[in-house]
Amino acid sequence: MGHLLFNVIALFTLIAAVGVVVNKNAVNASLCLLLSLVGVAGLFVGLEAYLLAFLLLLVYAGAIVALFLFIVMLLDTKGDARPTLNRLPAAARVLAVGLVGAGFVSFLTRGRLPEPDLTKVPALGADLKLYAYQLFTTYLLPVQILGFLLLIAMIGVIVLSKKFEGLEDIK
Amino acid sequence: MKPNYTELFAALSPEAALIVGALLVVVLDLTLGRKKIAEARWHAAVRIALLAVGLAGCFTFASGRPGAEFGGAFMLDALAQATRYSVLVLAALSLALLPGTARMRHPAEFVAVVLFATAGFSVMATAQNLLIAFLALELASLSLYVLAGFDKTRPESAEAALKYFLFGGVSAAFLLFGFSLLYGLTGSIELNVIARELGAQAASPLLVVALVMVLVAFGFKAAAVPFHLWAPDVYQGAPAPAAALIASASKVAGFTFFARLLWSGTGASSGQAPAWMLTLAILAGASLLLGNVAALAQRNLRRLLAYSAIAHAGIMLLGVMTGTRFGPGALLYYTFTYGLATVGTFGVIAIIERAGRCQDLDDLAGLYRRSPLLAGCLLMFVLSLAGIPPLAGFFGKFLLFSQALRLTGLTGPAGWLAIAAIALSAVALYYYLIVLKRAFVTPAVAGTEARIAVPLKPALALLLAAALLLALGVFPSSALRLVT
Repeated sequence: MGHLLFNVIALFTLIAAVGVVVNKNAVNASLCLLLSLVGVAGLFVGLEAYLLAFLLLLVYAGAIVALFLFIVMLLDTKGDARPTLNRLPAAARVLAVGLVGAGFVSFLTRGRLPEPDLTKVPALGADLKLYAYQLFTTYLLPVQILGFLLLIAMIGVIVLSKKFEGLEDIK
Repeated sequence: MKPNYTELFAALSPEAALIVGALLVVVLDLTLGRKKIAEARWHAAVRIALLAVGLAGCFTFASGRPGAEFGGAFMLDALAQATRYSVLVLAALSLALLPGTARMRHPAEFVAVVLFATAGFSVMATAQNLLIAFLALELASLSLYVLAGFDKTRPESAEAALKYFLFGGVSAAFLLFGFSLLYGLTGSIELNVIARELGAQAASPLLVVALVMVLVAFGFKAAAVPFHLWAPDVYQGAPAPAAALIASASKVAGFTFFARLLWSGTGASSGQAPAWMLTLAILAGASLLLGNVAALAQRNLRRLLAYSAIAHAGIMLLGVMTGTRFGPGALLYYTFTYGLATVGTFGVIAIIERAGRCQDLDDLAGLYRRSPLLAGCLLMFVLSLAGIPPLAGFFGKFLLFSQALRLTGLTGPAGWLAIAAIALSAVALYYYLIVLKRAFVTPAVAGTEARIAVPLKPALALLLAAALLLALGVFPSSALRLVT
């Protein structure tokens, strides 16, 4: 049962992810991304990581995809005709298909992840208290670095998007 | 495990100094600098930043207790410390170039982002944990994307930033895929645990996929063929001080980071040649060939430097291969001296740009008459890049090639690569000498003969870089002792 559920949700996620790439309309692509994220959240639920599933839905599906949609609407990009990949040389196509095929075959024949010892894996994604405790102790430094990362992103956006007024006064 | 925050702070005090410096620069500029003219704001920002970098250097010296820190998340070994010093020196030189060169708005933001990037490089040098390593890499990369697009008077700058960002984003995605596979294979994000687990497992195709993904990101960071396409556009479009940082400190930190990952994380703990050796050899060979040959065709000085950087990346990849047996000394020596020469060259470009244009090789014409100081410094830097004794570039190449020949003999991949690299060095000499010919022999075009004024700080930075190149070339063993 668990395997069946995993397979169904994984397939759903992958199909939605392919939809993001092939959709020519940016709004449809964003909505496919939303579906794909819902699928990933489903996978987390399957792993009993309810907190992560909830956060994923809240932050990514809720906030970030909504932001994507806003920006798509603001930019008003139509799904224009765009150059297709048809001009790819035949040799490159054969090579790519061959490489992907070889990868698949080698996965199917030899690719086995070591069976995880579930007792050793800490269940951090299930409980808010455990999760928060880890964030403020073991992962304190990554959280700090992430804070500075966002600060740089903010400075960069402000500087790069500010209206250009000419440089006569500072020459 | 109960983490010890005092120890953590002591180990990371250089990065803390850099970040506090960055915040101070922005805050002081927004409060005290509002009414000042731009020139004064540049000088003030650079002064604070240089102070922060100097302080970080002192803290690095003080935090020297070697060993793993914070539950194995960091490693303060000789390689980490030497990389930290190198990164700080290169960042300080790039910063010192700023006041004489920049005609951009937002001085404080530029300087602050440089400091953030330096902090990122410094964490990259010490990280022993995939999560922190990735975050540090992104801290540095994000800063560099912003810096590349800082010059809003030129559309090339925006183009450079966009290309760099798109390539960088994709390579970061590859790196994350690779890391998640490594985590899946070993159940840990700590490098020493990963090494132990991988040593105990049989080779699996998943490990190969993970390594390929990591190598894609490495190839991007190092600008190795076939992941080099961003380099010429970024070198051409980015403001010169930003290009100097991208070409120097970012390279040093990137090579330390990825070499550590490959050596200790996924290296040959069982004693055989690691699985990534052959792939790396192919990347190195392709970079050497394409970089050197494409540089011959360039008429744009910055694009020429970019292709020469691709060729140098090939040699550095050779250094990653030899480092498995001979230690990191030669690789770090090479990347650092290469960084010094590149910062210097971009510094000369930046100062010439202040007086006019400096994109094409022809813009160098008559440099010897226009500014003997700049021409002399350019001579040192370019000859070091070409590998002429007694400059440091020669000794770096000599050390790496001799190690490569000893690694597998003449017939192994490293030996072949070393021979190819020696042959292609002759090709490289040709295009480096063309640069020097323009600067020293070709007379200036009418209308551009005016002398170039060189401000004090950039002049000191150039002279310091040239002196370091000479000193490291004459006394290489004292520098190598720091690393080993």
